[in-house]
Amino acid sequence: MVKFWILHGIKNGILTTKYPKKKPTEEEIPARSVPPFAAPESNWIQGQETCPTDAIENNTNSLDLGRCIYCRRCSDAGFIFDDNPEDRHKSLQAKISQNELIRKEVAGIFSKKTNIFRKSFHILMIDVGSCNACNLEVLNLSNPYYDLTRLGIFFTNSPKHADVLVVVGALNKAMVDVLKQTYDSMPEPKLVISIGACAISGGIFKETESFVSSIDKVIPVDVTVPGCPPSPIQILQGLLLCMNKIEKDERIPGSKGGL
Amino acid sequence: MGLIPSFIERKDVAESSDSIQISAIFEIEGRTLALLSDIEKKRTILSTVPSKLSEEADILLKSEEKTGAQINLDTGSKVEGYGVFSFSYGPVSAGVTEAGGFKLITYGERIVKVVPQINFKKRGVEHKAIGMKPEDALLLVERSAGNFSASYSTCFVTTIENILGLQVSSRSRWMRAVAIELERIYNHLHVFARLSETATQNVAAAEANVLKERVLRINAKYFGHRYLFGFNRIGSVYQNHFTKDRRKDLVNDIKNITRDFSHLVTYFLSSRIFLDRLQNTARLPHLDALKLGAVGPSARASAIDWDDRITYPIEPYNDIFVEIETEDEEDTMSRTMVRIREIQSSMLMLEQLLDRMPSDETMSDKTSDNGLNYMQDNFSFCRIESPSGDLIQVVQLDKEGYIKFLHIRPPSLVNWLPFAKSLEGNVFTDFQFAYESFGLSYADSDR
Repeated sequence: MVKFWILHGIKNGILTTKYPKKKPTEEEIPARSVPPFAAPESNWIQGQETCPTDAIENNTNSLDLGRCIYCRRCSDAGFIFDDNPEDRHKSLQAKISQNELIRKEVAGIFSKKTNIFRKSFHILMIDVGSCNACNLEVLNLSNPYYDLTRLGIFFTNSPKHADVLVVVGALNKAMVDVLKQTYDSMPEPKLVISIGACAISGGIFKETESFVSSIDKVIPVDVTVPGCPPSPIQILQGLLLCMNKIEKDERIPGSKGGL
Repeated sequence: MGLIPSFIERKDVAESSDSIQISAIFEIEGRTLALLSDIEKKRTILSTVPSKLSEEADILLKSEEKTGAQINLDTGSKVEGYGVFSFSYGPVSAGVTEAGGFKLITYGERIVKVVPQINFKKRGVEHKAIGMKPEDALLLVERSAGNFSASYSTCFVTTIENILGLQVSSRSRWMRAVAIELERIYNHLHVFARLSETATQNVAAAEANVLKERVLRINAKYFGHRYLFGFNRIGSVYQNHFTKDRRKDLVNDIKNITRDFSHLVTYFLSSRIFLDRLQNTARLPHLDALKLGAVGPSARASAIDWDDRITYPIEPYNDIFVEIETEDEEDTMSRTMVRIREIQSSMLMLEQLLDRMPSDETMSDKTSDNGLNYMQDNFSFCRIESPSGDLIQVVQLDKEGYIKFLHIRPPSLVNWLPFAKSLEGNVFTDFQFAYESFGLSYADSDR
C-alpha cells in the first residue's frame, strides 16, 4: 500500500506551480479570466449596451473589473480579446483598434499594515451567497498544483485563529449579521479579501431581491480579486499581496490579463 | 401542440402508485401541474397535482417561496425528552464550505434527527428572470449553481429552443453532452476527494484533487472556462476551434485520466481503514428513497432505476450507449461505488461522443425528440441528469419572447430530506461522510 503511494508520487514528479518564483504559465490563467484588452471607439456605446453588469463605463473609456463577469458578450460588439488570434487579425485589417482600453484598478486600498503575516498566515473563508464556484476555487488552492502550505498559508476553521477573511459571493440579506459577527470576532491585526465579481460589486446578482451591497460597504476590504470565478493563481496573488510578498504591479502576468 | 416523444406521457388525473415519484410541482396559467416520474415504466408524466399531497411533496412547493426567509426542512414528529439535545451548525462552519446550516438533535452521541436549514443565500433567480430576455436570463441561470453550470445552462437552453422551435445542429447538442459529462467527472472526483479527506486519507485525497484539477484544466482548454460558464448559447454553442485534431487531443487527455483514475480506485478500495468508515454508514432504505423523492447517484445507490440520460433521452443520449449504474446496499459505500462507476462510464461515453461527433453544422431533424412544447401556452420543460441528479426546468415565454415564468427544481433540494433520513440513528462522526456522499450543494437548492 504505502509502497504504491510512494512510487506513484515519484512517478508523477512535481506538479506544483513555480509561482511566485516564476510567472504563471498560460495553463494556469484560463482564457475566460482575461478581460478584453482593446476596443474600437465607435463600438463603445454598443459594448456598453451589451454588458449585463455595467462593467463598461460611460464616459471614462474604462472597464471596471470588479463588475466584469467575463461573459464575453462585448466580443459581439467588437471588443477584442487576446486569446483569439483570428479576432486580432480581423481588427488589424479594419484598423479600428486605436483606442487602448484602460483597465480600472480595483485592488484599491491595501495598506501596508504590518509585516507580521510574512511567515505564517491563516485564512478563513466565508460564503455570503456565492454560486459555489468561488468556494471551490479557494478550496482548490490546497491541492498539490497550488499547495498553499509551501508558502506558509493555512486554512483555519475558526475566526479566532484567522488572519484574513476571504469573502465570496453576493452579500445576501440573511448573511449580513453573520458576516459582521465573524469579522468582529477575528483578532487584530486582520485583513479582508473579497473574491469574485459578486463579492466586489454584486456581479450578475446585483439586481436580485436579496442582494444587499458590496462587501466593502459592510466591512473594510483590503484586497479585491476580480473574476467570475478568479482562477486559483489569481486568488493566490491576492493572498500574497496581503502577505506583502509581492508588489501590486507584479499581479499583471505579462499581457495576459489579471489585473 | 407539438409532438410528444415516447418517454413523456400526458394524463389528466395523476395516478398514485408506489413506483411513482412527484418530481416537480409548478403553477402555470392558474393551473397547478405536476411532473411525475414513473420509475417502473421509465416515463415522465405531466398531469395535475394529486389531491392529497404528502408532507414531503409539500417541500417542493415551499421552495418556490421568495427570498428572505430561512426555511427549516422539518418533517415528521417532534423529538423531545430527557437527554435529547439540539444544537445548530452553520452557516459559517468547517466541514460545510457554503452558507447553510443544520439543526442537529442528538441523544448522547446518536443523531436522532437532522433538520437542514436552507435559503441563507437564496438569490431568487427564478423571480429575477421574469421579464428578461432568454439570452440575459441564461447568464443568471448558469451562475445559480457554479459547479452544475453546464447542466443548468443546457437545460435552460434546450427548453427555450423547444418553445421557439429552433433548429439546432447535432454538433452543438453533442458538444453540450461533452460538457455535461466533463462536469459530472469533476464533481464526482470532488466528492471522492472530500470523502477521503474526511477519512484522513490525505494522500488519496491529494491524488483525487490532482485528477479533478486536470479535468478543470481540460474544461478551460477546450471550453474556455474552468466551470464551463458561457459556452452555451441559445441555438448554438461557443465553439473554440473544436477541430478534429483538438478532439483527438481531448480523447487522449481523457484516456490518461481514465488510466490514472483506475489505478487510484484499485489501491483506494484495498484500504480497509477507509472502507470501514463507509460501509453501513447512513443507510437510505429503498422505500424511503422512493417516498422522499431522492434523485441522482444517491437514489441509484438505493436501487432506484432512474437516470435522465436513459429515461429522458434527449439528443445525443438517445444515440450513444449509456447504462444505469445502480447498487442495492443503500449505504455510503454504495453511493461512492455508484459515483466511481459513473466516472468510468462517463469517460467511456466521452470517447464515444468525441469519436462520433458530427463534424459539420448539419441541422438536427430530431427537434421533436427533445421534449414537448405546448404551443398555445408557450411553455416547455426539460430534464437533465446533473452530477447530483435530475434537474428540471420549466419555462414559459410571453408573446414578445420575454420570460414569463421560470421554475427550477434543483437536485439538491429534493435530496436534503433523504440525507436527513439516512442519518437517523447514526453517530455524530458519520455526519460528514453522509453529507459528502450525497453531493449536496446549498447554492443549488438556494438558487
